[in-house]
Amino acid sequence: MATDKKKSQQPAQKGMRGLVIGMIVFVVAVGAAFAVISNQSIKSLKLPSSVSKADGYGIVFNPTGSPKIDIWEDFQCPICDRFEGINGNYINQVVQAGHAKVVFHTMSFIGPESILAANAGACAANSGKFIQFHAAMYNNQPTTENSGKITNPWLTLIGAAAGISDPKFSSCVNNGDFINWTKNIEADAAAKNVNATPTVFVNGKELDRNTQYMDPVAFKKALTDAGVK
Amino acid sequence: MANQKFATTHMKFQGWITLLARLVLGGVLIAAGALKAGNPAHAAMAVRAYQVLPVTLANILGYALPWAEMGVGLALVIGVAVKGSAIIGGGLMLLFILAISQAWARGLSIDCGCFGGGGAVAPGHTAYVQEILRDTGLTALAVYLFRYPHGKFGLDK
Repeated sequence: MATDKKKSQQPAQKGMRGLVIGMIVFVVAVGAAFAVISNQSIKSLKLPSSVSKADGYGIVFNPTGSPKIDIWEDFQCPICDRFEGINGNYINQVVQAGHAKVVFHTMSFIGPESILAANAGACAANSGKFIQFHAAMYNNQPTTENSGKITNPWLTLIGAAAGISDPKFSSCVNNGDFINWTKNIEADAAAKNVNATPTVFVNGKELDRNTQYMDPVAFKKALTDAGVK
Repeated sequence: MANQKFATTHMKFQGWITLLARLVLGGVLIAAGALKAGNPAHAAMAVRAYQVLPVTLANILGYALPWAEMGVGLALVIGVAVKGSAIIGGGLMLLFILAISQAWARGLSIDCGCFGGGGAVAPGHTAYVQEILRDTGLTALAVYLFRYPHGKFGLDK
């Protein structure tokens, strides 16, 4: 009896088995293909002002300045907060004095709240207050990543705290005007082999992570050696 | 004599051990894949940080690998193509062990990025021993499944 039952199930079960394997292979192929395609740079999209495609879609200050300093960061990254605390004032001085071309690449690999924050950063850049927003963001960085604290209303408040009075700022944040742009920042960082934040390049060469990032004297020396006045 | 007794006892429970091995290896693969698939940018960064593959290839692997892991894991949990899935799953684990070992040997400081996360970390914040031990245990499960693919509640007959 038991063997009879097993026999009669066999062809159906074999078909079922093939079907299940086929479905799994199909889902894997579609998911993988979609993941590869959707993480490429988007060709035509709305860009914040002061963003340059040639500079990896980063937010550029002093475009004709020299040397060139590239900073990759994520607004949610705790080490970026430490880096900002150590070198932030100096970097801002360099930016404001025009002593270097400085490009900020606000990445979003830490998660969905980083995407919202990077979008808001681009909105702030459009309102001419990126540096102020950047400082306010780190001053108020939530202690845990993607905890639900970083929302568009919260980012609008951070903008207000940074002194942004431009009415376009909050609509830009809430409409997610530059959400797609954050993908291009990621795609460019991926192509440039940026594997941690913060990452700093001076004239295209990465600083030494072990000695030059968290020591303000060494960091300043690295920049002045490259020609920052 | 003792060997024979062990073999008899083993055969009595083999179907259940196979099921357990399938659920553990499959479950780990599904979890690892799902955690990474939700953040492809970070998954790609994790693969790049091993500094083995050319950057373009590393990125493609980072985007695609989580889906492959989920597929193999799903097959193991359902119990279809167990032998083939065990070969792929065990092969992946061996690759991971090799990748982690070479990073360790070259003095890189990275997080394996096995369950999301990944990328360069501060020196002294690595966990290479734990990562390799875990993957070695999972490889052993894959070997067992290769030898004994047929177990309880599987579609394979």
